Amino acid sequence: MNEPSETQRAQSVGAQTLRENSRRAQSMGDEKISLSLRDLQLFYGTDRALNGIDLDIPEKRVTAFIGPSGCGKSTLLRCLNRMNDLIDGCRVQGQILLDGEDIYHHSVDVAELRRRVGMVFQKPNPFPKSIYENVAFGLRLQGVNSRRVLDEVVEASLQRAALWDEVKDRLQESAFSLSGGQQQRLVIARAIAIEPEVILLDEPASALDPISTLKIEELINELKDKYTIVIVTHNMQQAARVSDYTAFMYMGDLVEYGDTDTIFTNPKQIQTEDYITGRYG
Amino acid sequence: MNQSTPSPSSHRPMPVQVLPDGAARKRLRRWRGFKDSAAKYSVGAFGMGVILALALIFIYLFSEVLPMLRPAAMTVYTSYEAPGGRSADTVHMAMDRHELVGVRYTTDRQAVFFDVGDGSERYRETLPLPADATVTTFGLAEPRTRLVIFGLDNGQALLVRHDFNERFSPDGRQYDPTLEFPLGEGDATLMNVAEDGASIAAIAVQRGSTGTSVAAALEDGRMRLLRFEERSNFMTGAVTVRQQAYDIPALPDNAQPRRILLDITMRNLLVGDDQGRLHYYDVSRPAQAQWVESKRVTLRRDAQVQSMEYLLGTVSVIVGGSDGTVSQWMLVRDEDNVNRLVSVRHFDSHSGPVMGIAPEYLRKGFATFDDRGEIKLHYSTTARTLVSLDTGERPLSRVHLAPRASALFAIDDNEQVHLVSVRNPHPEVSVRALWSKIWYEGRSQPEYIWQSSSATDEFEPKFSLVPLTLGTLKAAFYAMLFATPLAILGAVYSAYFMSPRLRQVVKPSIEIMEAVPTVILGFLAGLWFAPFVESHLPAVFSILFLMPLALIVAGFVWMRLLPEALSNRIPAGWEAALLVPVVILVGWFAVGMSPHLENWFFAGDMRQWLTDVGYTYDQRNSLVVGVAMGFAVIPTIYSISEDAVFNVPKHLTQGALALGATPWQTVTRVVLLTASPGIFSAVMIGFGRAVGETMIVLMATGNSPVMNFNIFEGMRTLSANIAVEMPEAAVGGTHYRILFLAALVLFVITFLLNTVGEVVRQRLRRRYGSL
Repeated sequence: MNEPSETQRAQSVGAQTLRENSRRAQSMGDEKISLSLRDLQLFYGTDRALNGIDLDIPEKRVTAFIGPSGCGKSTLLRCLNRMNDLIDGCRVQGQILLDGEDIYHHSVDVAELRRRVGMVFQKPNPFPKSIYENVAFGLRLQGVNSRRVLDEVVEASLQRAALWDEVKDRLQESAFSLSGGQQQRLVIARAIAIEPEVILLDEPASALDPISTLKIEELINELKDKYTIVIVTHNMQQAARVSDYTAFMYMGDLVEYGDTDTIFTNPKQIQTEDYITGRYG
Repeated sequence: MNQSTPSPSSHRPMPVQVLPDGAARKRLRRWRGFKDSAAKYSVGAFGMGVILALALIFIYLFSEVLPMLRPAAMTVYTSYEAPGGRSADTVHMAMDRHELVGVRYTTDRQAVFFDVGDGSERYRETLPLPADATVTTFGLAEPRTRLVIFGLDNGQALLVRHDFNERFSPDGRQYDPTLEFPLGEGDATLMNVAEDGASIAAIAVQRGSTGTSVAAALEDGRMRLLRFEERSNFMTGAVTVRQQAYDIPALPDNAQPRRILLDITMRNLLVGDDQGRLHYYDVSRPAQAQWVESKRVTLRRDAQVQSMEYLLGTVSVIVGGSDGTVSQWMLVRDEDNVNRLVSVRHFDSHSGPVMGIAPEYLRKGFATFDDRGEIKLHYSTTARTLVSLDTGERPLSRVHLAPRASALFAIDDNEQVHLVSVRNPHPEVSVRALWSKIWYEGRSQPEYIWQSSSATDEFEPKFSLVPLTLGTLKAAFYAMLFATPLAILGAVYSAYFMSPRLRQVVKPSIEIMEAVPTVILGFLAGLWFAPFVESHLPAVFSILFLMPLALIVAGFVWMRLLPEALSNRIPAGWEAALLVPVVILVGWFAVGMSPHLENWFFAGDMRQWLTDVGYTYDQRNSLVVGVAMGFAVIPTIYSISEDAVFNVPKHLTQGALALGATPWQTVTRVVLLTASPGIFSAVMIGFGRAVGETMIVLMATGNSPVMNFNIFEGMRTLSANIAVEMPEAAVGGTHYRILFLAALVLFVITFLLNTVGEVVRQRLRRRYGSL
């Protein structure tokens, strides 16, 4: 298993550059680091999908992963709350530290990790329950069943997700009665109801119309003062609009990572520049 | 992605014309249109065909049931002057089973045989009665014996049997009617009931294998019992008749006997009096004949018993009062094993006195008639008055039903004979008879019983569908109790937790169980499993407790106690394979411990212990059927619910997991909810299958139509009942049609189950349906 990784690494852009990139990201400010990835490698069976990623994700900032299809940005995102565990034959090497603790250590309770690191998927996935029960779902999982607490948290979460005014009169209706954009905000409300530290957004607006997309982006902006947000997006304008830091990935490598303004205006790597200017992707 | 190496084909020049030309495209378009509409209409036609086939099955079943629903009818076929003339009154009339030849006994000592169709006389014989005596009363033994007894005003009685002597000749059916005198010719024909020559007021006769008994009430209220014991000399074959006469205690309260009846066992004597009461005498020892009890049988206190007749089998008696009441009475043994008179049911009353009762020859039906010319046809089991007929305003003096109950004679006081055709093929059926408790003859209380046939002709068919329907539900219930948890939990496990490779093996293996012929399952259940369960009862119950316990312990040991290095060897999703040895071990242990458990706790024999505790234990019982039929149902439920669970969208389960749900929380709160329409329909289809299953219940239940949910007793299901009894049911008979009705009930049950299942599934799907 280790042998191909050596050769692959040699062929890739180079571990040296990567280290420099991540160090540069750290040096870009005196940010408090929420998640830090150390030489993260991921294998599907014998195929390597991530080639040793080193990356520090700052707290209460929006970090965007961009890159062409198949570059591994979604895979990387799903490593952060161990959703990749669900895939048969998927194996991870290296470390991901959440507040200094390795989330892949065998003593870690995966369910608790996922409570701390919430996730929103590309396609809105409300449960076949009422709007209220969708938001209360995570709390009920944690054994919170007090009606008063649930009422409070549901309202607060829906308000934070900018959905409260639209649904407050129909909380008991099926979540399926909402539009796609509303459903996605409901899913975000559901995620923040359990007080996560990190929220992972996997192309959260790619299935939505422009107006809904705008609302989601505004929401992300509002959420970042409380949560660390990591977003995967195909849409470079979106990355430019919402993120503070941007990581550009290509074929399982982290090519460049840094301040979003710097990445979009003054990329260091030629590949980054090609991608941002639309030469491929 | 691989943008640096463009594919070489992209530089190849395009052909000038890729698509075919316009005409060809038009042809192709037409051809495609034709295929499209052909597919559309043939699919529609086949779909309609399926519905049509179902409808035809339903219609056919219903058409076989329909004749039972048609009401009985009586119509006057013809009417003629009594054969032999109006000068003398009719004592009794009868006809042969083909309704061609009849006989009329008259008060002027004639027996006139005649054509039933037009009343023309064929043959006449004079009864050997003294010329100076007149006939005061007469009695009938069971109609099919054709025995008639005449009571005279001089204290004598004459026992006569008419015989139509039907035979076949080249010219067709021929009759040589004769009269026979069972007590012998000459002087022996007349018996002396009252030595002092008192007039006989009422008389009854029964003839059994050991001889003949005659009971009579005299004008002065005395009652006599005569026994004629026939002994044949085994050397010469000569028959000697020994006569003994007994006195019966008089009726209480100075009541005067009106009618008297003796049953076929010659142990019970019933007397109806002029005060509207029925009296029961125990005459099993004639010398010590004793009065047992009296019951009022008329509604009005001043009414008297006008007529009284036994139904077929002489178990229950129909009493007609002068106030028009018609009621059925039976002797029922009480707690002290003493026969008591019990009123079983009442029938529609007549507006005038019930002048007489004509029982059917072969069924428990009878006709009653009054002094206003009305005839009513009743059936005892169903307690229904089927039809009534008004023959005119004249009082009727006699009514006699033909042997096959498809015609009757009615004679009015002007000696006019009305020949009435009767259409009453299925009197045994009514909603009450099928679905309510019925007080059958010989039973101590009303019950639900299915017993369609018996060795004797006097038998009362018991057609309650309740035990069969209950048995069907019982079998299905125990099968579902066994199958549903196993199938659904197995489905959830293999769809959600099991590794795909293992699932590829497990799922088809379970589904192939569906292909095992149920006759094999039934065969194994009845011949191997049932005796095994019987001899290893403690094993069955200890497995019930030990197996889940052992699985939990094994899981705990595997997850917590074993070193991680070892438990990590088995990839996730393969844990089920580890349980195979555990299951085998626990099964082996339970079976091995079974005899010891029996010795320690159940005095060596659990079956006996159960019996002592008060549970009936049948070898072929619901436990066996539940397991065997459970095996038949598991693949159905498993397969459909596995698909339902597997098809729960991944984004929902991932959504739940991403919110910090454990896999188990995800299953219980999201997966099962979303898959609920599919799981529900799986259970309903499984239930429908269990309800309709035939071979397993046929072979493994013992087919006893019991009315309980005891797991240690068997049952008889609707389907097994049809399979068992259809070959022996006479085509077109009531039993035959009731079996069709049972099929219809089964059809309706499964139809309802499927419909309810589908409706609920649709609603669930609207609510929880996957996206």
